[in-house]
Amino acid sequence: MRALTGISELDAMLHGGLMRGDVTLVVGSAGTGKTTLALQYLVNGATKFNENGLYITFEQMPAQIYRDAASFGWDIRKLETEGKIRVVCTSPPVLVQFVEQRNPIDAMIEEINAKRIVIDSISHLEAFIPASELRGELYRLINHLKMKELTSVFTAESHEVFGDRLVVTGVGLSFLVDCIILLRIVEVQSSLRKALTVLKIRGSDHDKQLREFEITSEGIRVEAPFKDLEGLLTGTPRRTGEERFAEAFAKVARKGK
Amino acid sequence: MNETGLHELSEKLIGTEIKAELLRLFHMNPGILDTVESIARRIGRMPKDVENEISTLVDLGVLRKERFGKLDVVSLNTSKDREVQEKLAALIERGVKE
Repeated sequence: MRALTGISELDAMLHGGLMRGDVTLVVGSAGTGKTTLALQYLVNGATKFNENGLYITFEQMPAQIYRDAASFGWDIRKLETEGKIRVVCTSPPVLVQFVEQRNPIDAMIEEINAKRIVIDSISHLEAFIPASELRGELYRLINHLKMKELTSVFTAESHEVFGDRLVVTGVGLSFLVDCIILLRIVEVQSSLRKALTVLKIRGSDHDKQLREFEITSEGIRVEAPFKDLEGLLTGTPRRTGEERFAEAFAKVARKGK
Repeated sequence: MNETGLHELSEKLIGTEIKAELLRLFHMNPGILDTVESIARRIGRMPKDVENEISTLVDLGVLRKERFGKLDVVSLNTSKDREVQEKLAALIERGVKE
């Protein structure tokens, strides 16, 4: 049983979409498109798959989300009026109380019969919850969402724009979640391009290639895998051995003429 | 009576700069569900300056304050807010006619 993101190439990479009831972490540095991907997942759920959703934001105000979404043609306010999406702007200490009985967020989930939820971004919890309690609180939150049978997407900020280190949180969040999608900026021939890969899905195979993606006027579009380059995740890729050989061979051939 | 009613209601609603800022914040972002401290941060004010203003808007029914676990959480009471807006509009209209 899968929940389609509606981004067809990504659904193919996930071998049919996100596993229903799972928690997916979308990790990336600033400007990689985490919020766009998460919104697209919710909007497509509400408009294409009859699955309503809740969007929980901390720092970014709903007014800004409405405006940004509108630039992709997504009318979030209309979807809210229709009872298909609810945008909740809160702070991490309130979210942690989400697991309490009879809370307003649970009430909203029931009110719109939400099947999807986005928390943007889970990294904010680190600033408000003591490190010694963070893993336990995240574990409790994840299990609460699973009990509600929600298919969840958390966004998380990775601080390294380039480089071969990937630290999501200091508390092993990547072990708690079921699926990880990594968004990265890579430099290819002196231009910055965006790359996406699925790092893990618990209990399912998935595409392991690193693919280029673009943020278009209609949202995220995933393209073909990067060709003839290796070391892309370090941010400074080099050509593959085969590519270097082919070029050297072509040089020799040109000299011989 | 109309003028007094209008004056009283508008005074209660937007009598201070902070109250006007709070109403603007909640009207533009109806999904806010947050503590007084965080709401103060969202309009760039100190919690002590915002607390009483929020209480006035809670008394008017425009905002709702609920205990949520260990925290008091404030949100927009959309139905009451609409009611107050309609009342204000009606008072203005009557005032214009008179």
